Amino acid sequence: MIFEQTQRTPYVEIGSTACVIRGECYPENISEWSGPVLEALEGAMKHNNGSFEVSIELYYFNSSSAKFLFDFFEYLEETAEAGRDIVVKWLYRAEDDTMLEAGEDFQEDLETCTYELVQIENEQTS
Amino acid sequence: MSEHRDTVGLHSFMQDRRTLFCYSGPMTEDLLTTIANPVRHQLSEKETEEVVANRVFGVFIEQAQNIIRYSHQKTKATGDSVGTIAISLDDDSFLIEAVNVVSESKRDLLEATLVDLSVKDQKELRALYRQRLKEGPPEDSVGAGLGFIEMARRVKRFEFDFQAHEFGALFVYRGWVS
Repeated sequence: MIFEQTQRTPYVEIGSTACVIRGECYPENISEWSGPVLEALEGAMKHNNGSFEVSIELYYFNSSSAKFLFDFFEYLEETAEAGRDIVVKWLYRAEDDTMLEAGEDFQEDLETCTYELVQIENEQTS
Repeated sequence: MSEHRDTVGLHSFMQDRRTLFCYSGPMTEDLLTTIANPVRHQLSEKETEEVVANRVFGVFIEQAQNIIRYSHQKTKATGDSVGTIAISLDDDSFLIEAVNVVSESKRDLLEATLVDLSVKDQKELRALYRQRLKEGPPEDSVGAGLGFIEMARRVKRFEFDFQAHEFGALFVYRGWVS
């Protein structure tokens, strides 16, 4: 399932083995946007027992969206604890300390998920 | 022309104080969507490093959403929150300003929160942000209570003030980003 990127929400692609989130996140109403995304993720993960890779490449998110990300990671961690092999890749642009710190902070709460901080080049425009 | 409709004066005032963007009036999420891109454009026009522009933008968004959620002054017809928000250049920094009315009952809580944040260093702010994310919002907060912590993390320094106002207290927040 694909949630197209809008000015205030990232592109989200959810398949049976992977999930990609890319862009900026500061929606008008975070729960209106995140509800269907979390539902789609849970639905997709139920269809498969194999490893699942989550790739997150955010350039900016507001404080309301931080709560969504926290819930998102909490769900992934619980699923990993239940035995699922989950790999999370947090992609951040070189010199973007804000997104690096955010990635490090989310990492601290994830023990069972495999978590990688991945530095990427600055080519992309947000 | 009457003295209080000093249009050229308004122009000169905004230019002289190096204000890149200013809005004063009813603030809504729709309006924020509309002005977000022009604000971004203004920041990139200044050949700012993208990471700095992102910090300015981040503080601007939190301030705008604070006005939307907490302004005690509402329009009669639609109940939209009224406030003022601006981005200016100040020496080698960006100055992001927000002004809105808060109720007298919220004033003390807000003041205590900001005094508390103003004495914390970056490490403490980061830890507090994580803690608040885990524990959820404090009482009386509409959002996750993270907005002011987020702003404090992005600015070099901030100031705030409360002034008497007919509907409560006029809350003034100024943050510098560089």
